[in-house]
Amino acid sequence: MKDILNDLKEIVGCRVSASLAERCCYASDASLVEGLPDFVVRPENTQAVSRLLRFCSEHKIPVVPRGAGTGLAGGASPLQGGIVLDMSGMNRIMEIDIENLQVMVEPGVVQEKLNQALKPYGFFFPPDPGSSAMCTIGGMIAYNSSGMRCVKYGTVRNYVLDLEVVLADGRVIHTGSKVLKSSAGYDLTRLFVGSEGTLGVITRAGLKIQSLPESRKLVLASFEDAETAGQAVIKIFSAGITPSACEILDKTTLQVLKRCDSNLALPNDGDVILFEVDGTKNSTAEAALKIAEICGPLSKSVRVASSQPEMDAIWAARRLVGAAISRLDPARTRIYVGEDVGVPIKQIPALIKRVSQITAKLDLPAMKYGHIGDGNLHVALFIDVMNEDQWERLRLAADRIHRAAMELGGTVSSEHGIGLARAQYMPEQVGEEALQVMRSIKRALDPLGILNPGKLGLEMK
Amino acid sequence: MNLDLKEINRCVRCGTCRSVCPVFEESGWESANTRGRILLTRGLARGLKADSEVLDSLNTCTTCGICTDNCPAGVNPPQLIEAARRDLVGQGIVTREQAALSRNIFESGNTFGDPGDRLAWLRDRSLLREKADCVYFVGCMNSYRRSDTAARTFALLSRFGATLLPAEQCCGSPLVRTGFDAHRFVDENLRQIKGTGANTVITGCAGCYTTLKNNYSADLEVLSIPEFLAEHIFELDLEPLDITVTYHDPCHLGRHNKIYEQPRRVIEAVCNLKEMKASGKDARCCGGGGGVRSGYKDLSLRMAKRRLQDVPEGVDYIVTSCPLCIRNLSDAGAGEKAIDLADLVASAIR
Repeated sequence: MKDILNDLKEIVGCRVSASLAERCCYASDASLVEGLPDFVVRPENTQAVSRLLRFCSEHKIPVVPRGAGTGLAGGASPLQGGIVLDMSGMNRIMEIDIENLQVMVEPGVVQEKLNQALKPYGFFFPPDPGSSAMCTIGGMIAYNSSGMRCVKYGTVRNYVLDLEVVLADGRVIHTGSKVLKSSAGYDLTRLFVGSEGTLGVITRAGLKIQSLPESRKLVLASFEDAETAGQAVIKIFSAGITPSACEILDKTTLQVLKRCDSNLALPNDGDVILFEVDGTKNSTAEAALKIAEICGPLSKSVRVASSQPEMDAIWAARRLVGAAISRLDPARTRIYVGEDVGVPIKQIPALIKRVSQITAKLDLPAMKYGHIGDGNLHVALFIDVMNEDQWERLRLAADRIHRAAMELGGTVSSEHGIGLARAQYMPEQVGEEALQVMRSIKRALDPLGILNPGKLGLEMK
Repeated sequence: MNLDLKEINRCVRCGTCRSVCPVFEESGWESANTRGRILLTRGLARGLKADSEVLDSLNTCTTCGICTDNCPAGVNPPQLIEAARRDLVGQGIVTREQAALSRNIFESGNTFGDPGDRLAWLRDRSLLREKADCVYFVGCMNSYRRSDTAARTFALLSRFGATLLPAEQCCGSPLVRTGFDAHRFVDENLRQIKGTGANTVITGCAGCYTTLKNNYSADLEVLSIPEFLAEHIFELDLEPLDITVTYHDPCHLGRHNKIYEQPRRVIEAVCNLKEMKASGKDARCCGGGGGVRSGYKDLSLRMAKRRLQDVPEGVDYIVTSCPLCIRNLSDAGAGEKAIDLADLVASAIR
């Protein structure tokens, strides 16, 4: 180990640590998946990553790339020791190219910081996960994350034009270019998006950006039940309106939101949907009015948020609600399992019903919220972590929620990824043959299996 | 380890604190941010050995509390970290710097280990009333290192009948922050305060303030200089100054005790105020608190340098109400530009 440490120091200088304290801090992301790395390395440039991967290939040392460690599937947890490669220090915005509608960034750039840099130009990078304030672009690409506005703007996959990737053997490739479209060969860019660090290490990304809308409006509608809420959503889409966000919040979520910010003027009961529309002042005013009209006969109450500060406060609280559950009951902690299922949008009410039945039967409190506009439901289960029986019921609930989503034609992960947390569902989720294709790709690019081993269900028989 | 596992377990490791921790901004290593520290605290509860790297992680927290304000799960990390430090100190596990700081205080009654007279700055001892309604608690830093500010502050407060403690001791803040038992100093200062017959204690140090307020007797009314001056500013005969200043919120006045509005009210009664880039509850830490300045001076000054980048263009002074902040900001490049609120007010008195 000491020899390896000296070799690593040759490559990255003092940006390597073998201290137990540091390794403990890199043992997990925000999921339950844990594994102690032997070393942590914080590279500063592509050349260092390339040299490091060549060295790791030669010595068959596992390498687990990591952004800010905000992932919820154990994607950044090192299962077989080796090196955790903390990419968050490579955080420069290399180029803002407004004329070509794109930016070039290093993977450690934080989403919110990128948008702060783009704002003066009147542009933004639309994918906006709840962790925007801390998650890195590299992590977002590796997990194809999205967020609340993907109902209109799509996921990260829709924005990546080019990646600089260091392959397992140290070779450096580019997967695209500055052009907005290309028909030249296999779409390697899309292959690396969502590959969870199993195929290569992203060291630079060219991203498409969008002009900021002139105006945004927020409509809050409360419904008797999720089914009626779902009907309203379908009617709104059918009327030709594509909201820029369409979020459902159940009663427990509303209570938590109010604990986060007691000034929030949210309805007290029912299932609430937040519809956001963006565009010009006229188009948003018109769309908000139309949404209110459509919701009117179906809802218990409907209103348009009065001001920008009110909208900002509601979205700020909504973004962090997932982690805020213990504000309702300090004795319980939110555990991220079964938290990211998705179904075709028409099936959302059915999924909500199934989740309610599952959690009620197991006597587990749950908060349900999510992106109803794209069928993604976040289920927040919270337990007393000192209670083994509650852990057992939690695991059962998560398994049943995942299976319910698949039975409804959905996915076990809409935007958080597979990692290890959902690896067991991969054969059923994608099919054994498709999984074999994925394994072939993995073998072709990483024949020694050093890149993030144990993830994505690729190594399961 | 005797740590509050329930509180530790409330942390969902979302990383929000990672995005605001001023120490992490300088270091880049996970062990130097709040989430890392909580993971290590949990590790200690599970039997992790407290080696020097664990101590560095825990001891580099300035306890600025910006993580507390931003934590969606409602965790109070500085409380957890101070508890972990206490536990380790209880086991005799301390760094050399922690040991030196506590030895200074226990042997001399002040953080500097200075054997000199704490009231050397007081020229007219007749102002030392035996009985009074309120006491000016000077603090170690103003007593020994910024005695001009102490003299000016006392001159202001004497107008309102304040006295001084005859043999003030360190308030205990550096001990509490770094994990030591401060009850000996709390008891002694309280005994002297009661001896003066005062119910109110006024202090110009954010560290003393939070300790007097939260670790002393609940019967004691504790006021910071900004609170006191905001209440009495129009009783002073002031001539407004034609200058523009900015205000740096000390963490232990602002985030820890929610004193945001009073210093601004005082400044605006005296001169123009231009806010820093991050202010109020979002104010960045100067890097001086939590024992970081004494244990990790370079790191501490790097944070102060970064804080100075928040100072707006065209201001004459950086005003604050904490001598530890003033020292750090001065040493990081602000020099004489960093001044105390009491100094500003004193210079405006006709």
